[in-house]
Amino acid sequence: MEELILNLKEQIIDALNLEEMTPDQIDNDAPLFGEGLGLDSIDALELIVILDKFYGIKLANPAEGKAVFKSINSIADYIKKNRTK
Amino acid sequence: MGGAISITGMGVICAIGNDSQSVLDSLKRKESGIGPMKYLQSVHTDIPVGEVKLSTGQMRQMLGITGDNPVSRTSVMGAIAVREALSQAGIKNLEGKRVALISGTTVGVMDVTEQYFERMKTEPELQYLPHSNECGRSTHEIAEYSGLGNARCCTICTACSSALNAIMLGADMLKNDEADIVIAGGSEPLSRYHLNGFNSLMILDRQRCRPFDETRAGLNLGEGAAFVVLEKDVPDALAYVSGYANRCDAFHQTATSKDGDGAYLAMSGALAMAGIRPEDIKYINAHGTGTPDNDASETAAFRRVFGDRLPDMSSTKSYTGHTTSASGSVEAVICILAMLNDFVPASLGWSKMIPGGYVPTMGRSGADLDYVMCNSFGFGGNDSSMILSKNRPSGEDAPIMDESRVRVAARKVISDDAELALLKEYLSPMETRRMGKIMKASLLSAFEAMKEAGLEKPDAIVAATSKGMLELSNMFLEEIAQNKEELLKPTLFMQSTHNTIGSAIAIRTGCHGYNITYSQGDDSYYWAERDARMLLRKGEAKAVLVCSFDENLLDGRTKDFKAESIIYTID
Repeated sequence: MEELILNLKEQIIDALNLEEMTPDQIDNDAPLFGEGLGLDSIDALELIVILDKFYGIKLANPAEGKAVFKSINSIADYIKKNRTK
Repeated sequence: MGGAISITGMGVICAIGNDSQSVLDSLKRKESGIGPMKYLQSVHTDIPVGEVKLSTGQMRQMLGITGDNPVSRTSVMGAIAVREALSQAGIKNLEGKRVALISGTTVGVMDVTEQYFERMKTEPELQYLPHSNECGRSTHEIAEYSGLGNARCCTICTACSSALNAIMLGADMLKNDEADIVIAGGSEPLSRYHLNGFNSLMILDRQRCRPFDETRAGLNLGEGAAFVVLEKDVPDALAYVSGYANRCDAFHQTATSKDGDGAYLAMSGALAMAGIRPEDIKYINAHGTGTPDNDASETAAFRRVFGDRLPDMSSTKSYTGHTTSASGSVEAVICILAMLNDFVPASLGWSKMIPGGYVPTMGRSGADLDYVMCNSFGFGGNDSSMILSKNRPSGEDAPIMDESRVRVAARKVISDDAELALLKEYLSPMETRRMGKIMKASLLSAFEAMKEAGLEKPDAIVAATSKGMLELSNMFLEEIAQNKEELLKPTLFMQSTHNTIGSAIAIRTGCHGYNITYSQGDDSYYWAERDARMLLRKGEAKAVLVCSFDENLLDGRTKDFKAESIIYTID
C-alpha cells in the first residue's frame, strides 16, 4: 500500500503540474478538492486519466469520481479494489 | 450616427442543409443531422457528430477552386455561406463601398494542420502550411473564394461565442460609420483536435444530445458556417439586430458559474440595448449544449431574467450538433428563418425536466415572433446574447465622445524569461502551475500595467494574438499523434483556445465586462485597439485593458515570447 501511495502521489504531482510539491507534503487523509489541496474540475479529469493509464480503471462518468477522489487514501483504496494492471 | 442595423442576406451550411431553404425544411420536419462520422478521420467512431454532408473536395468543386493545395473546411464552408448571403442580399457591385468580412472561428485552419502535422516536421515542401493556429488565414481565404477579395478582414476567436461576437462587431462598425456593408458570421469544421479535446473534458454524449433534459450526458459536436449581410437602415429587411451584449462569467476556463452570472449579464445587457422587457421576447434559441454544466447554469440565468414566464425556448443543437465557433451565426440564421416563417423550432431529444428547470418547446407554427433572443456561450465564460427583431427598431444610438479624450494610462511589456519570477507577487504556485510562459508573461504584463495605472479592475478586456496558444496547441497535437487519440490531457486542451488569456485576466481580476479576442495576423492589434477606443468613446467603459501576445516555438516549446498590456482610459 505504501508503495502504491507513493507512486500515486508522484503521478498526481506530474499530471497536475504540482511542481513545487513533494509526495510527503500531500497528506493522505486531507481533502484534495475545495478547502484541502484546492483542486478543480480539470484536475478531476486528469485523475481519471491516471486511473486509466496506470491502473486500467475506466470511469465513464466524471460524477463517479467525486466519492473516489476525496483523498489520497480513498483513491488508493479504490485502485486496490479495482485495478486491472 | 445610429440607424437600424438591417440584415439583408443570410447564408448557412450545416448538418441539416447546405443552404437556408434546406435548413428550414429540416427544422420544420424535425429532422436531426446528427449521426455517425463519415468525413472526419478519427479513431472515435462511436462518437456521433453533426457533419456537413459534403466532402471538402465536393465543396471545392462547388466553389470552383482548382489546384491541389490543401484547403481548410473552414474556408470552403465559410465561402459557400457568404456566397449565399451576398446573393440573397442582391449585392452584385461592391465598387466604391467600404466592405468588411468578419468571421468567428477558433479551429481556423487546424483541420489542415492536423492532417499534415507529422509530415510537416520532415518535408520542407510542406512548410508553407500553417504550423500554427492562425485563424485569420481562413478569413482571407473565405474572402478570396466568395469574391470579396478587397474586403477588410477581421477574425474573432472567443471559442463557441465567436460568430455571435462577429455579428456584434459588424453592427458596431455600421453604427460608427466605419463600413457600408459588413458580412459577419463564423465558420468551424469538425477537427480531430477539438473532438479529442472535448472528449478529454468528458462532455461528449455517445448518444444524441438531449438539451435541458434531466438525463443529458453531454454535447454532440457539429460543423458549419453561417453569415449575414448587415447594412444600415434598410426598410423591409429580413430582420434587424436590435440588441446585444458580450459579458464574462469570470469563473473558470471550462466550467460555468452555478448561477450563470455571465449568461445573466449578457441577456440583461441585450435587453437593455434593445430597450425591451423580458416578456417582449417570443422565442429563445438557447445555447443549450446538452452538457450537465451548461444547461444547469443557463437555466439558472433564465430564472434570473425571465422568472417563471420563460418564452418558447429550444436548443437547435439537437439538429446541427454544437457547431462551436460558428454556432452563434448558425443559430442567428435559424432565428431569422423562424421569424420569417412564423414558427418556433422544436427542441429534440427532451423528455424529462431538470428539477426546477423549464420545459423546452416541442415546436409551434403560426407564431408571430416580433423579438427573438439568441444565446451563445464559450470557453472562458465568454457569454453573448443577441436580440433580433422583425420590425425596424428606431435605431437611436448614444453620441460618441471625441477621440482626443482617450488616454494611455499605462503600458507594460514582458518578453524576458527572468521577469516571469515576479508573477509570484500576484499569484500562488497553485494558480500558476498550469501556465506556460506566454500565459505567465501576459498576466504579469496585465497586473503590472494595472498597478502602474492605479487600476483595481478593468471594465473590459480586449486581447490580440496572431498565432494563439501556440505551445499548448502543439503539445496537444503531439499527444494526439503519439497516444493515437487516447488518454489525452485535458489540461493542454482547456488552455489552447485563443481567448484563454483574455479569460484568465478576467478570472483573476473579477472583470465581468466585455471580453473579446482578435486574431488577424499583423492586424490583430489594430482591431483590439480600435475596439478599446470605441468602448471608451461610447461610454461603455472607463478603463479598458488591451493585452497582445505571441510566441515562437523551437522543437515544439516556447523559444521566445512577447506580451504587452496597455490600459486605455477616457478623461
